Amino acid sequence: MQGTTEISNLSLLFIIVFVMIPVSLSYWFSLNLSKSVLWSSLRGVVQLFAIGYVLTFLFDLPSWQGIGLWVAVMIIVATLNAARKGKGIPYVRVVVFAVIALIEALIISLWLGFGYIPFTAEKVIPISGMIIGNSMIAIGLALERLQSQFKEERGRILAALSLGANPKQSSHQIIRKTLKAAMIPNIDGLKTIGLVQLPGMMTGLILGGVSPLDAVRYQIVISLSIFVSVAVCAMLVTIFLYRFYFNDKMQLLDLHT
Amino acid sequence: MKSTAILKSKGLTTDVLKSISFELQSKEITTVIGPSGAGKSSLLLLLNRLEEPQEGRIFYKGTDIQEFPVTKLRREIGMVFQSAYLFDGTTEENIEYGPKLCGEWEPGETKRLLELVELPQSYITREVSTLSGGEQQRVALARTLANKPSVLLLDEATSALDIKTVEHIEALLFKLKEERGLTIMMVTHNLRQAERMGNQTIFIKDGQLIEKGNTEKLFKNPQTETLKMFLEE
Repeated sequence: MQGTTEISNLSLLFIIVFVMIPVSLSYWFSLNLSKSVLWSSLRGVVQLFAIGYVLTFLFDLPSWQGIGLWVAVMIIVATLNAARKGKGIPYVRVVVFAVIALIEALIISLWLGFGYIPFTAEKVIPISGMIIGNSMIAIGLALERLQSQFKEERGRILAALSLGANPKQSSHQIIRKTLKAAMIPNIDGLKTIGLVQLPGMMTGLILGGVSPLDAVRYQIVISLSIFVSVAVCAMLVTIFLYRFYFNDKMQLLDLHT
Repeated sequence: MKSTAILKSKGLTTDVLKSISFELQSKEITTVIGPSGAGKSSLLLLLNRLEEPQEGRIFYKGTDIQEFPVTKLRREIGMVFQSAYLFDGTTEENIEYGPKLCGEWEPGETKRLLELVELPQSYITREVSTLSGGEQQRVALARTLANKPSVLLLDEATSALDIKTVEHIEALLFKLKEERGLTIMMVTHNLRQAERMGNQTIFIKDGQLIEKGNTEKLFKNPQTETLKMFLEE
């Protein structure tokens, strides 16, 4: 890319020296974190290099193969990761997989449809990564909140059912709280975007030589796409899954035991 | 006047209960006693159909409860829990909850119910989170009564309240029985309360119905050694 400066192996090694600062601090204050800091840094470096080689391989494949293969891997990994937070809920993996796949298909179709990006692995894969990654976090948060709410509010749900409410009516407050909890971090993020820190994608584009205004345009599209994905994913997962806390006789099940 | 059974169970069995059979007489108060973990609360959940028995049947007004729409049955066999479990919002919103679900709300009913449970009319717009424990429990009772149930199930509903509030609620339950012809089944760990309140009493231990019958006779002349020991504890 125009204006990009290549980072040599030697300069890369130099930045790793910085890691020694937290390691020394940890040692100095007896935090017992030196090993963790070193291990996380090393792991991060190895993972990023590995992904670099994988992406190079994928970018060399015909577009549809590379994109299809990697997007499938991302959706599966995101599903397994997010669904862990909903352990015990029937069909949680199926629903999470379907929702992530749906939102990914929707957002990428829009991007391609409006001509924001061409159908090439270099463009589709990073964008998909952002969409899938953020959806995964939002779904995880939603599932975590759903589980804790059904546990904490068990008494109120039973009270509502005993008064003649159906599962939807008795879970109304829980659904609202779950959706709010999943969406608020993103709403707050949007409010301060660019003021507190420049978003990663925009920073990357500017460093890569793209003009700040062009970078902003891309950032607006990606930020709003992420916002929509997060909101839709949290909503769909919550709406599809809350009903599995009840049986067909409108009785509340105990999924936590 | 001869009373009739409004609620009847035959061989109710769950993980906790072992073949429980009894009849709940119409317009009477039945108290349920027994040690902790005996299955008293589980029994009430079955009657409100919040849980399902593995075996056995329950009849309401002579018909198997499976034949009633669940939500209709739950409105007719109302339940008040040990905790008030009020919903976020005002007293009025809580009391209107049940009737509004089925579109049967009558304006002015909240005021009448507040009067019935002896709470000031000014409480109508109060956030329930600002009420005391006793007041919250009265709102919970009013909320259940708003559905106009025929049977009222109380699961240790007064156990966390002070003596004065308990007296008020007991007097109210007697009034409901006499004036509204309500049939009441109350689980209590307070033996004096069970004796004071009950027409009939059921004694459950380890999920088994050990003894049942007229409250006065049961307390004065227990037929089993298990109940004798329990009453002496």
